[in-house]
Amino acid sequence: MWSYAFKRAGTTAVTLLAASIIIFAFIHIVPGDPIYVLLGDTATPDQIDALRHQLGLDQPIILQYLTWAGHVLEGDLGRSIFFQAPVLSVIADGAETSTLLATMTMIWVAVIGVPIGMIAAVRHGTWLDQGLSGAAMLMASIPTFWVGLYLILIFAAWLGWFPSSGYPSIFEGGVVNLRYLVLPSLALAAPNAALILRLTRASMLDVSREDYVRTARAKGIRPWQVVRRHIWRNALLAVVSAFGFTFAALLSEAVVTETVFALPGIGRLVVQSILRRDYPVIQGVILVIVVVYLLINLIVDLSYRLLDPRVELQ
Amino acid sequence: MRYGPSVLMRGVVGLVTASFLLAQANAATLLREATIGEPPPLDVMLTTADVASVIGRHIFETLYALDSTYTPRPMLAESDGTEDGGRTIVIKLREGVLFHNGKEMTAKDVVASMTRWGSFGARGKLLMAAATSVEATGKYEVTLKLSAPNGAWKALIADVNGGLAIYPEDIAAKAGNRPIEQKDYIGTGPYKFVEWRPNRYVEVERFDGYKPVKEKGDGFAGARVAGFDKIRFIPVPDVGTRVSGVQAGDYDYAEMISGDLYESLSKDSSVQVQRTNAPIFGLFFMNSKQGILKDNYKLRRAIQTALDKSQALRVAFGPKDLWNAEGSIFPNGTPWYSTDGASNYSAHDPKKAKELAKEADYTGTPIRLLVSTNYQAHYDEASVFTRQLADAGINVQMMVVDWATLLKMRGQPEQWDIFVTHHSFAPDPLLLTFLNASYPGWWDSPEIGSLRAELINTTDPAARKSTWGKIQSLIYEQVPVMKVGDAYTYDIASPKLKGLNPNGPVFWNVSTK
Amino acid sequence: MSSNSATLWLRPFLARPVALAGLGVLLATVLAAIFAPWLSPYDPYAIDPLIRLTPPNVTHWFGTDQFGRDTLSRTIHSARMALLIGSGVVVFALATGVPAGVLSALFPRLGHLLMRMVDVLMAFPTLLLALGLIVILSPSVATVILAIGIGYMTTTTRIVYGLTLRLRAETYVEASRSMGAGAAWLISRHILPNLVSPLLVQASFVFAFAQLGAASLDFLGLGAPPDIPSWGNMLAESRTFITRAPWLLFFPGMMIVATAFSLNLVGDALRDRLDPRLRQVFGEKG
Repeated sequence: MWSYAFKRAGTTAVTLLAASIIIFAFIHIVPGDPIYVLLGDTATPDQIDALRHQLGLDQPIILQYLTWAGHVLEGDLGRSIFFQAPVLSVIADGAETSTLLATMTMIWVAVIGVPIGMIAAVRHGTWLDQGLSGAAMLMASIPTFWVGLYLILIFAAWLGWFPSSGYPSIFEGGVVNLRYLVLPSLALAAPNAALILRLTRASMLDVSREDYVRTARAKGIRPWQVVRRHIWRNALLAVVSAFGFTFAALLSEAVVTETVFALPGIGRLVVQSILRRDYPVIQGVILVIVVVYLLINLIVDLSYRLLDPRVELQ
Repeated sequence: MRYGPSVLMRGVVGLVTASFLLAQANAATLLREATIGEPPPLDVMLTTADVASVIGRHIFETLYALDSTYTPRPMLAESDGTEDGGRTIVIKLREGVLFHNGKEMTAKDVVASMTRWGSFGARGKLLMAAATSVEATGKYEVTLKLSAPNGAWKALIADVNGGLAIYPEDIAAKAGNRPIEQKDYIGTGPYKFVEWRPNRYVEVERFDGYKPVKEKGDGFAGARVAGFDKIRFIPVPDVGTRVSGVQAGDYDYAEMISGDLYESLSKDSSVQVQRTNAPIFGLFFMNSKQGILKDNYKLRRAIQTALDKSQALRVAFGPKDLWNAEGSIFPNGTPWYSTDGASNYSAHDPKKAKELAKEADYTGTPIRLLVSTNYQAHYDEASVFTRQLADAGINVQMMVVDWATLLKMRGQPEQWDIFVTHHSFAPDPLLLTFLNASYPGWWDSPEIGSLRAELINTTDPAARKSTWGKIQSLIYEQVPVMKVGDAYTYDIASPKLKGLNPNGPVFWNVSTK
Repeated sequence: MSSNSATLWLRPFLARPVALAGLGVLLATVLAAIFAPWLSPYDPYAIDPLIRLTPPNVTHWFGTDQFGRDTLSRTIHSARMALLIGSGVVVFALATGVPAGVLSALFPRLGHLLMRMVDVLMAFPTLLLALGLIVILSPSVATVILAIGIGYMTTTTRIVYGLTLRLRAETYVEASRSMGAGAAWLISRHILPNLVSPLLVQASFVFAFAQLGAASLDFLGLGAPPDIPSWGNMLAESRTFITRAPWLLFFPGMMIVATAFSLNLVGDALRDRLDPRLRQVFGEKG
């Protein structure tokens, strides 16, 4: 177990190094320049050169990378060119929104996706199963921003049940501020719940084809009891790992939803930083996302292997 | 006994009401403003981004400020005088004006700010290129010496947008060309900077030490009274979300709403619309330095002749209330309004355009049009014109990039032939970007060179106006830029807000009472 | 293909009327794309500001947009962009993923290296990778295909890798290996033919998700150049008109949903006819 964990940690570190180099190279071949955005319309070439020099952007790229990597190893991700604040604090601020949004989304996904998936599996082959599976497929085919726009229109502008947009921190207004995340999390939950629903159904069906389940069934145990006693724990293994990856993806890939709902999340932070060429923020955020992704990957892997003794640790 | 419950009920209701009122009295009043996006650093001297100016205007102040007719009025200045035929300007400062750090503003602060602005300010060169010295000639007196008189000097220092905001001396002196740090956002305005939470908001709060001028508030000039304890400027990039947000009561004010919602929002009782009185205008810059359009006045006129500007305006801005197909660079009603050359503004004559293009020996070489989708209006205008030019046999190829890329590319003359941007209302022709020979487009023909010098060095308003008329004629002849037309942007606000400012979104003298 | 195998492919559709309907929608989309210039009542680029934002009526069935362009004609022409981007992404994902996956499975050393690289790429958030690429290469149809395709290149590689490992372990492959068969022969005789049906399933899901991905990029203003009609661009351009001119959002939105849904239905039906041994390699996500 431990040697496996160490080995995995080792490859994770190598992956991280490769990723950091790619990030850096990638970002600096983007055309455009933060200086232009910073100084605006009327900057003269002299002003531009002087500021570029001050920010160290005129140095060779390898030197820039080494300086950056050195600071990162000391835990310093640098300072944002635009926000004039440490990148780490900028990310932390966005992470609050993104984490809460992803968590709330996953709650919807769990509440909607898993039970309905189980129902579909138990009623396998009936019209109910076909209807539910079809509905899930339809949900997975609708663009989230399209749903988001209509959610705002109906539940915020017309009915006034939820706030339309934005998210003031819960550390300022208390947990009631979570109501700001209800609509966006619902928009995000729709396709993800659909995928989890289908996965739950499929893995339950897979498990139910196993011999021990057939035996139980042959002994005349009622279908729901078979599910409760034999199928559901095993089937859930696959679902749990899918949860991990969906959560990781939601942290950074909710850009479109964050834009529609004006949420101060990580996704929008990156997109905006890419558009403004705020290099330190882009580098920092992507690095953090990659680390989080690799960590979740590691945790999912290890827990999978812990939960299911049959999986060999190679 | 029969009345028991009812009395009790009344008591409870009364108590609840009282505590509610108490809570309201104690609660800080907060104004929530939905801006079009995250601002760049709020060092307003350096940046001309409107998002930064809107916030910065509450924190920083200028020596003069524009009233509702866009005439400069004293703000931090008390009075002024010129000597030596306009070459020496003496400005007396108001006494007792405090910075947010508690220190009094004196001539030293103004000198340091002016020096930094002259070297690094976005619009600093316009005035300070001719400066020979700036000195504190008293605790509250600043003397600026110029090598040649400047007829527009007051207008050039009357707004924070890339302008001469007054910073404390130590901050201005050490800042150089790098944007100042957040902790140095210290001005003399009615609100002071509190904090900037990325993508969440920029917060300012009432500055209790603020000392307003005596005159009544008028435009950006006159007394400024902070009606709210705090203002939050919240970036909401999606315009639909800004609208729903004000309708739902999540924001009190939202900027830059699309023209096509104007009519329905005007009838909507959950919002009030606030149309600006200062139009912005779209500009298509021609490359005067390199490429097919360089010195090619015939081809440029062919392009100009082919266009129907009102079509583009209608697409980009919607209802007729919000735009005006106006050929004069300055709108009617302003002192600089002129009809010189404006008959060529929007001919929409494809046949004549074809002839002109033929005379210019144009053979269908693609003309590269650089445009960004970050501003929907730019893109709308470019699409309409491309289509109209195609009808006149002029082959335009749109290069659609993001704004950051456009800003970089337009500085490289080999990359483009035309680029699209817009210009905000200017109180003086010298503030127009296309009169600046180093601005991309690089219009610097001998004719404009001499007219520009004339415009700068004349101090008599009537003479300056006639010079401007000649420049406008030249613009329609050499076509360094094409003006699309005047567009009146509008904002929306909660119906509770009183005293909104038609000059633009500022929230002093605004209240809910 | 013999008539026998043709019925084999059609069987899952005949059993499910919904899937058959999905196939019909896709066929209609393809026809719309091919015959767009003849089917559209108007030039999709022709602007006429005087009739802008007119609701659906007899002359303009789907109404007009803010330029006064005919929404129906633009919706029809957009089918071209949908097919182009969808098939572009599929071709890119297969052309890169299949060789990488097969070679990795057959040559373990190379496989180790390649799969590590896939790991690195997979650790990058796909949407951000796509956005970065688009800003670097400046928006164009090819960029969009590349940006979306990279995300599916990695998943395809993994799937092909898994399938090939399984196939290699199959006895008959083992047998022919022991008889001294070359890699080329092995690949062309045993591996590729067995990959066809699972890849067809993968392709239909990738095609479906590429539609949604492209729409998201268009919505952020980073997709296909905005002057090219595409459903995503139509939504992006008209999102502020959601109350003023709801038809502008309704029709293109419905087209995205319809094509993505149909592709998913078809993919699902195809998966059901797959060899159950191969089915396990597939996640439900495709």
